[in-house]
Amino acid sequence: MNEERYILFDQYLQGEMTVEEKNSFEKQLSEDHELSSEFETFKEVQLRLTTKFEFEEEREAFKNNLTTISDKHFNTSKPKIVLMRPWYYAAAASVIILFGLFFFDYNNPTFADYDNPETAAFVERGDTNEALKGAQATFNDGKYAAAIPFFEEVLKENKTPEIQYFYAISLLEESKYPKAEAIFNELRSGTSVYKEKATWHLALSKLKQKKYKECKEILETISQDYENYEDVEKLLDELD
Amino acid sequence: MGQTKIHPDQMYIEGLAANDSAIIQTIYKKYVPKVVMFIMNNSGDKEHAQDVVQEIMILLFNQAKANTLQLTCPFDAYFFLLCKRKWLNELKKTSNKGVTINEDVLSMNESALKLITNTEEFDEKQQLFDTMFQKLGDKCQELLKLSFTTKTMEEVAEKLNVTYGYVRKKKSLCVGQLTQWIHEAKNFKSLKNN
Repeated sequence: MNEERYILFDQYLQGEMTVEEKNSFEKQLSEDHELSSEFETFKEVQLRLTTKFEFEEEREAFKNNLTTISDKHFNTSKPKIVLMRPWYYAAAASVIILFGLFFFDYNNPTFADYDNPETAAFVERGDTNEALKGAQATFNDGKYAAAIPFFEEVLKENKTPEIQYFYAISLLEESKYPKAEAIFNELRSGTSVYKEKATWHLALSKLKQKKYKECKEILETISQDYENYEDVEKLLDELD
Repeated sequence: MGQTKIHPDQMYIEGLAANDSAIIQTIYKKYVPKVVMFIMNNSGDKEHAQDVVQEIMILLFNQAKANTLQLTCPFDAYFFLLCKRKWLNELKKTSNKGVTINEDVLSMNESALKLITNTEEFDEKQQLFDTMFQKLGDKCQELLKLSFTTKTMEEVAEKLNVTYGYVRKKKSLCVGQLTQWIHEAKNFKSLKNN
């Protein structure tokens, strides 16, 4: 790296040069295309850094707000519905439940019966990694859609089975099956402590998609030493 | 930009930058259904649509915050086309099928196209910047964060308990390292494109 060059750039931008130094630097810029093009990049990097940090909090607030609005839009409203009063929701909900009672075969176990994600606790005291903190907080609040981007950011630099595991659970909660299952499969074939847990969640993913046969096959591969083996037995029972 | 007239729909951009919930909701109500429809008619589902829209909204927020987004055409066309192109590019990544995304060129006016190119370029550069920033060592990342969130470099030096000269130099070098990587990546890209 051409250290002198960057120190010079910074001095120039900070206005710390004498008149002669400044003139000579500007002359160099006008003559050396490579130098001036790198100087442009340097300025742009400064600008990106400024926007990155200056608006960091605002950006997080925006993302959270956006996720809330987006989830609300996509889950509850058909494009035509403008405003629903609370009692409409209640009425609509009861209609849905009635239909549910009619049409669903409630002999089959459901994902919801077994969906109780553990609490994430990977942030250590004094940890300054904002993405990691964000991931843990949103995950433990059950805001999985919001947690996903945080996990993705953390994974970019710190790919550990633990983070992968919680990331995949978030994906599963958001029904992003192929992505979630890819990670569970990776953990399942690894040797980390998340091996059996990942297998269990892989089975749950199949359950959520109502692929009962696949779910059962996966459950049967879980070792009896698995800490929550009673859940495995219970689900296997219900599937029979 | 000086001569081009700013479209009244610029209010949407300002609204995003200000995290104005009413504006964001209006965008979802008025402009998102069209995007959802398009994506669902083109091998996608609702969730894909939700993701694409969210990514574009964040991109617009970032660009608005960097003060480089001035709408010269209706928001509707601009937003829809951005989402559409993003989705088609996603499809392109996952399938071998070639996807043509130039069909809109004829139907769009020049200023809208220019605007879309600007935004996409901004996005590309942002991604490059983010990747490179992650490559920096923890020390550099921390120092840069402090430098850009603290008023003066004297205060930064105090916080880190080092000399002013040291932080100044170190900061120049951290920015320099980023500059070098990004500069190289750009050169590489232009070589590839030629």
